[in-house]
Amino acid sequence: MARNRETPASKPSSSPEEPFWRRNRREITFLVVFLILLGGGFTLISVNWVNDHAIDPFTAGIARVSGAVLGLLGQKVTMNGTVIANSRFAVNIRNGCNGVEAMLIFLAAVLAFPAPWRSRLTGLGLGIVVIQIVNLIRVVALFLTGVYFPKLFDTSHTVIWQTIVILSGVLLWIYWANRYAHPPRETAA
Amino acid sequence: MAASRPAAAPPPEKRRNWGALLIRNILLAIVPVWLVWSLLTPIYNRVLLTSAKNLLHLTESPNVTDLPRRDEHFAYVQRLDFPPAKSLVHSFRVTDLHFHFVLLGALFLAVPGIPWRERLSNFGMASLITVFFDIFLLFFYVKFVYATQLGDWSLTHYGAFARNFWGLGKHLLDLPFKLSLPLILWAGFYLRRLLRPDVS
Repeated sequence: MARNRETPASKPSSSPEEPFWRRNRREITFLVVFLILLGGGFTLISVNWVNDHAIDPFTAGIARVSGAVLGLLGQKVTMNGTVIANSRFAVNIRNGCNGVEAMLIFLAAVLAFPAPWRSRLTGLGLGIVVIQIVNLIRVVALFLTGVYFPKLFDTSHTVIWQTIVILSGVLLWIYWANRYAHPPRETAA
Repeated sequence: MAASRPAAAPPPEKRRNWGALLIRNILLAIVPVWLVWSLLTPIYNRVLLTSAKNLLHLTESPNVTDLPRRDEHFAYVQRLDFPPAKSLVHSFRVTDLHFHFVLLGALFLAVPGIPWRERLSNFGMASLITVFFDIFLLFFYVKFVYATQLGDWSLTHYGAFARNFWGLGKHLLDLPFKLSLPLILWAGFYLRRLLRPDVS
């Protein structure tokens, strides 16, 4: 890893005599709102009705697009709901593999960060598109891994691609928060 | 009382440079951190299985749960009160429970503009919290197996509320909180730098 130049730290604008929660008001607000949105979002998608009427059709759409991309790459695949198959391998795209988790984490982080609504909506729109593109690459790559390197499928499925998809969401959030969010200036009493 | 006044905000260029450095450092750190995590995984899996088993024993009398290893990555949930031929009730990949350490390491080691001592100290604290989280996650995972995965035995021993409690608990811990834990911990330590990179 490259070495970073050390920069001298300046004094924080808040006084050390202030109570902890007041000094760290923004951080605490971010974390609380983030956790509430995250817990709420994931509880919502675990409700059967939501899963059956929103998540499953969405996942089936991902399977169709992934199948079409695999067709362009010369794989003769068939799609049945959330299952993509050919004569050598089959995958069933389930929760955890549809990018919804990364999207919800990204959504919670963007909404919890102090920023104007216009910036938030722009970030959400762009972020969701990029996360789904990364997830599409994941599904296609995993299918090809299953066909040509089946021994690597387990590690690739969870450890590598799950990390890449979440990492892409985190990097996007940092990029957005740093460049476009423009948090309001802190005021000191 | 003094009137409120706007504090000096860092110039936009400084904010952008800090964010760009952070992103670059994360991308540079992710592969070395992944290699270290891969090397430590067999040892950490043993620590995790032993700790979670001990935690489970606190909720059992007599102690009926064992978590024997199948290989470096997989383990079994074993119930010692079942007939020996049926005692291995579930197999799972322990490594899948803690791959968030890769993202945690990359995020914490990549923060620009702070001394290495502080960086490592913060990473150490975040790692400790993550270890406790992983033990707790494995505890919930085993309870989820007992409550929902053992057919008639689960229905006999766990009511509807308990099945939903362990099921939803495992779902929330295993997906959103496991995946976002590195970001949550990073935000706890460093969010103020993203808001104002000139503040320590």
